[in-house]
Amino acid sequence: MATRGYEKALSMLKTLPRVGLFNIAPNPGFVKPSKRGRGQHGGDKHGAGNKGSKARQNYMRTGYETSLRPYYLSFTHEPYYLGHHLKRQYPPLSLGQLQLMIDTDRINAEKPIDLVQICNTGLYKINPQCKHYGVHLTDEGADSFKAKVNIEVQWATEPVIAAVERNGGTITTAFFDPPSLFALTNVKKFLESGEPIPKRMIPPEDAISYYTDPKMRGYLADPDQVSWERLVLAQKYGYSLPKIEEDPNYEMLTLRKDPRQIFYGLEPGWVVNLIDRIILKPTDPELQEYYKG
Amino acid sequence: MLRRLVMGALRPNSCVQAAHRLSTTTESSPSEVEQYSSDGFPPPVVLSRNLEFPTNDGRKRMAWVENIDTVQERKLGMIDLHPDIFAVPPRIDVIWNNVHWQKLYRKVNLVQVNNRAEMIGGGRKPWQQKGLGRARQGSIRAPQWKHGGIAHGPRAPTTRFYMLPIHTRLYGLRCMLSVKLAQDDLHIVNALDIPTNEPSYLEDLAEERQWGPSVLFVDDTDVAPENIAIAADQIKHMNIMPVYGLNVYSMLNHDTLVLTLAALERIEKQILYFMHRTDRAKLAEKFKTSQV
Amino acid sequence: MSACISAVANGLRKLWIPPVSQVRFRFHKDKIEAGPLRRRYGYEEKVVFKGLLPHVKHENHIPGRQYIPGDKWTPDKALFGQNDYIDIFSGHIHPTKVLYDVPLYLRGFKGNEFQCLMRKQKMLKHGEIPWRYPTTWRKMNKRIGYLYRYLNRHTRTWNVYRSRMTS
Repeated sequence: MATRGYEKALSMLKTLPRVGLFNIAPNPGFVKPSKRGRGQHGGDKHGAGNKGSKARQNYMRTGYETSLRPYYLSFTHEPYYLGHHLKRQYPPLSLGQLQLMIDTDRINAEKPIDLVQICNTGLYKINPQCKHYGVHLTDEGADSFKAKVNIEVQWATEPVIAAVERNGGTITTAFFDPPSLFALTNVKKFLESGEPIPKRMIPPEDAISYYTDPKMRGYLADPDQVSWERLVLAQKYGYSLPKIEEDPNYEMLTLRKDPRQIFYGLEPGWVVNLIDRIILKPTDPELQEYYKG
Repeated sequence: MLRRLVMGALRPNSCVQAAHRLSTTTESSPSEVEQYSSDGFPPPVVLSRNLEFPTNDGRKRMAWVENIDTVQERKLGMIDLHPDIFAVPPRIDVIWNNVHWQKLYRKVNLVQVNNRAEMIGGGRKPWQQKGLGRARQGSIRAPQWKHGGIAHGPRAPTTRFYMLPIHTRLYGLRCMLSVKLAQDDLHIVNALDIPTNEPSYLEDLAEERQWGPSVLFVDDTDVAPENIAIAADQIKHMNIMPVYGLNVYSMLNHDTLVLTLAALERIEKQILYFMHRTDRAKLAEKFKTSQV
Repeated sequence: MSACISAVANGLRKLWIPPVSQVRFRFHKDKIEAGPLRRRYGYEEKVVFKGLLPHVKHENHIPGRQYIPGDKWTPDKALFGQNDYIDIFSGHIHPTKVLYDVPLYLRGFKGNEFQCLMRKQKMLKHGEIPWRYPTTWRKMNKRIGYLYRYLNRHTRTWNVYRSRMTS
């Protein structure tokens, strides 16, 4: 009966004395003794060497190297990384990873995919505090990408757009400002805070051109131009564009967010009460005006 | 899940015998079971249920469901236990790790001795630097003085806190439950209702069924039934705990663990939920003080 | 008068010299007859060195304190460890939040003395401690100042933060 090792162990336990507080032990070598030597010569110099500045553990002031002038003032200022910490970052997610998430049921491809769905897989790490502005969908695994999705990412390149649209899917690049990203990356925490859903701000100056570009499927681009560019891209990459108008999932594939909207199905200004499971909407005309425009 | 228990017919005899190995210490053969039914007791019922996250490696664990409303033991049925919880490799070292953590993570050392700066006085130079033929001294609270401050003494408060990874803690619970089941120290009862509030009843019960002597009763509710609460309150080594109080140390400390059906369901549900969460990686991240 | 008496006495001593025989040798036989040398006369030995156990004759010498084992089942010990796995079984409460016998500022905290005192100062400064126990508070602030200077000037700065990053 006892074929497996642990079955043997469990059947042995049946005849052994009862396991109690007094007869359990860690693995040998688990408890490590303190490294500091004791006794007559055990702790003589504590590894600090013999005599001199080092033995006395006399450390330099921060920024100094034994001289009167600190080293950071010894050289001329060369600002290679000026403003580097302010640049937007887009943590990458490859098409292969996306396909794996869909295949392992981490993501439901039957619904529109946005940052919320990707964060909820628990496999994508993003921190808006570190200037992370969303997903950069990369073309790794583009050849084996087979899913038909309606995906919204924050940064994409031409091969990626081609790979998604070849399968009959649609892709949008959309910008989210940091307050929106905080809400998107941890939805539960945001909704529990009881704050109204903020309205999405327009992209910064240097990102406007990207998000209004129909070639990049920007969310601020003209839809007619986008559908034209879809045809152009299909001809450039040499695939026949599937007709999404005849697709049974046409409504899902063409679902888009409003430029002010953050979550699908929820409008800015609404407050979601998770405990009573109700949605509170602003009634004050001034508030309505604010969230509308 | 147990609310939807199917009270089915008796399983084939072979199944009953297979479960026999895992029965409580009182060995009872199928003929004994039949004898009960002829005596007028209701026949034992197999409480089959659909286990969440079933395993496909053929492992199986079953246990008797007993009553405690009579001193004499009566088998009420049989229940499937999840093999991922009740038949895992019994890692004694993991159990030790859990107990070690339970002892240390709450430990705070408040022992402190005063250093020379914290003692009263000592600001004045006790005698002049030169001319007296005595050793030069600057303060009467220097550490070489009698009644002086202590150098490198213990500084309070020092904590021994550390957080055991949640998967190690889960594994400790599963190991402990497996060990208790393997050693016939785990008993499942239908409810904690006993007829009297006399402590002698519980003592007789434990002696009759060869429990204990120390017994830990675990129920799903915060408030235990009145009779057992009064009776167990008068016996130091018989304790009642809600499910959320269950832990490795208490299971080791008490000889016998008695679970109610509701408690069993709750324990299985919670442990399986934590074992199969999609955010395992995030759950296993290093503990930060500010995270809770 | 006294001088006269002493002079007479000295004269008498010179007249009569008592017979004194010098002991040049001491024989072993005499030593045995004299008995053992008495050392530490009057001291009573409290430890029994002779004979095998048990010292039935010397019961008084055996410490008479009876061993009474402690109660293993006081409520604290019987229910030790309760709620340590409450995050698993309840799903949302963390066990560090229910350590009610640990001071609030130490729950779930691990660090060196400086980090500990800074945390204490930060969390208690708006409470009653500063005005109710001013001496204790002043001593603590003094210690923080000392540790700040010591750690920044006489140790490697990295050492201070290493433990914080790993805790």
